[in-house]
Amino acid sequence: MTYRQRGGLETNRGVTKPCSWIFLAGCVWCLALSAVALGQTAGGPDGIALDEGIPVADPLVISKCGTCHASDERGNMQRVSTARTTPEGWQNVVKQMVLEHGLALTPAEARPIVRYLSGRHGLAPAESRSVMYDPERRFYEETTTAADPLINACAKCHYISRPLSWRRTPAEWKRFADAHAVRYKFRPSEEATAFLSRMAPLHNAEWDAWRARGALPEFTGRWLVTAALPGRGRYTGEMQLAPAGEGEFDTRVTLISIADGSRVQRTGHVAIYGDSAWRGRSSGRATGEPVPDNPASDAREVLWVAPDHSTAEGRWFWGQYQEFGFDVHLQRPAAGPSLTAVDKLSLKIGSHGNHIRILGDNLPAKLRPADLTFGPGILLRSIVSSSAGDLVAEVDVAADAQPGRRDIALGGSTLSGAIAVYDRIDYLRLTPDSAMASFGDRTHPRGYQPFDAIGYQRGPDGRAHTADDIPLGPVDVTWALEVFHSAPGSNADFVGTVTPAGLLVPAPTSPGNNFDVWVIATARDEKDQAGKPLVGKAYVVVTIPTYSMNGRQYVRDLDRWVDIGPAVATK
Amino acid sequence: MNQAAITRCHAVLAILAMMLVIPHPASAHHGWADFDPMAEVTLYGVVMDFHYVNPHSVVEFTVTDDKGQVRLWQGEFGSPNELTRKGWTVTTLEAGDKITITGHPSKNGAPALHVSSIVLATGKEMKLYGGR
Repeated sequence: MTYRQRGGLETNRGVTKPCSWIFLAGCVWCLALSAVALGQTAGGPDGIALDEGIPVADPLVISKCGTCHASDERGNMQRVSTARTTPEGWQNVVKQMVLEHGLALTPAEARPIVRYLSGRHGLAPAESRSVMYDPERRFYEETTTAADPLINACAKCHYISRPLSWRRTPAEWKRFADAHAVRYKFRPSEEATAFLSRMAPLHNAEWDAWRARGALPEFTGRWLVTAALPGRGRYTGEMQLAPAGEGEFDTRVTLISIADGSRVQRTGHVAIYGDSAWRGRSSGRATGEPVPDNPASDAREVLWVAPDHSTAEGRWFWGQYQEFGFDVHLQRPAAGPSLTAVDKLSLKIGSHGNHIRILGDNLPAKLRPADLTFGPGILLRSIVSSSAGDLVAEVDVAADAQPGRRDIALGGSTLSGAIAVYDRIDYLRLTPDSAMASFGDRTHPRGYQPFDAIGYQRGPDGRAHTADDIPLGPVDVTWALEVFHSAPGSNADFVGTVTPAGLLVPAPTSPGNNFDVWVIATARDEKDQAGKPLVGKAYVVVTIPTYSMNGRQYVRDLDRWVDIGPAVATK
Repeated sequence: MNQAAITRCHAVLAILAMMLVIPHPASAHHGWADFDPMAEVTLYGVVMDFHYVNPHSVVEFTVTDDKGQVRLWQGEFGSPNELTRKGWTVTTLEAGDKITITGHPSKNGAPALHVSSIVLATGKEMKLYGGR
């Protein structure tokens, strides 16, 4: 493989005192490597090393892709056998082939092609987990310095998760970088290409182990669901997965709000590519007034399934900019009791008679107080009620309890860090702490933004906003919006409003300008050390949905603008 | 229209809504045009809050004038993505920190700066722009 060749060359470079025979051996070694490289270039299609491609065996893929991409006798197909990526990556490739290269393909043919490539040329769960924020359509700040070579080369235009969602051979990375540079008119970065060749190779231990996996547990049947919808709170429930053929499933889910008991029923259809990439759509039965954050809205589902198939996590999202969505966690029911959620996320030190509702599955009919533990400083006084699906416990918190998070445990099931013990709320943090929202126009609906105000106590280091701080759950607040930048001549009176539930609703008519605003949450009851109400702020840009510049048309996509082609002349 | 053309047309229509688009790094927020690049002020203040967020990090700080009047100012500078690579963290500025802050003032007279320099009470100047 090519990376083995590079290792050999590095060994040669490591020789510091060459004598004649070592020098000769080095020359022979280099020549041998060159010969191997030459042989690979000549022997495999498109320069594929014969032992490193992933053969393509699907007749439809061979039929549709093989007209342009030749295969060798081992089934290695040009470009295809030297790359792996997510379902979204393969979907985009197929679109590109149709739109730019004249591939004739029906949607009925495109689906199994994407399914095959995503399954056989996909990412192992260990590879895909770190880039899930991209298909889950989350705002994400890529502050990691570990991928700095990509920041200058790639992040000017898109998340670095996009290249990091691919695995390629070094030759394929170079080919891709060269073609990408021609296509988008920039100078390719050798440093970035080398980085990707090293960090995102076609073969690695994770992929080879995943490819060799044996039989895994079935997906069908019952799953326990916990979910959180910003601005609406948390839900628990269950999902039934029924087989629908070809790695696809029909879903039926019931979610119950922990806050108010309201129910949401959703049905849908998902494909699980490569036993790990859950992609689907679902919809619910909407009731009441149509509101943009209705939890019954039609949604796309993107989940990462754990390697052992016991859990899955991700996002079910909707909205013009995918700004609404459940954060979802699925888990298989256990043979014994399973704890899933608790209604209160924090308890004050020294408080007495707190009633805590713990939700779960298969909880014992006869529960003894000794069976249930809350960790140090939380004293269980009694079990008020219990059923198979939930229990209510009455607890006191000792006056000398130490602030921190506690596990709740019952039988073999543990809710890690489920409840926090605190003595004061030090600050409010809004989630998200920065965002974009959009005015609408004739062709673009408004882009909203929901917020939550979460209370925190400082951790042992005594500093705010550090990793040891203790999240205490949502705080009762009032919401406001304050403009701090507006374009000259624009009128800031018509930016929009924030609802009592923390949903930023931009004005229905675009004033044609951007506004930089603070969304401000003010605690109703909680005060700072000076006796003033706690305040949290989020920086939001409320922007136009589209604009033209230098003859090109741009539309908003998450936190960026994307070029969609020549500007359309307007009269 | 022949069958192949119809097939291709259907495929294109089916995926047009999800057309591959090309991101562009255009600014979605205000630029620095609201600030006067020809003017520069230096203020001595106390940090009230620090927002290490996109698209700009913002430091809120109070300045006490020679008559004892306290005024709240807002200074804006780089994004976390830029600043992290210059050694910044979310706790580089904390409530109560004394800072010397220099920047271009707002054209409309609002107590706001496009920050060009921040010096901590220790005398250390935090890098904001340019290379590492």
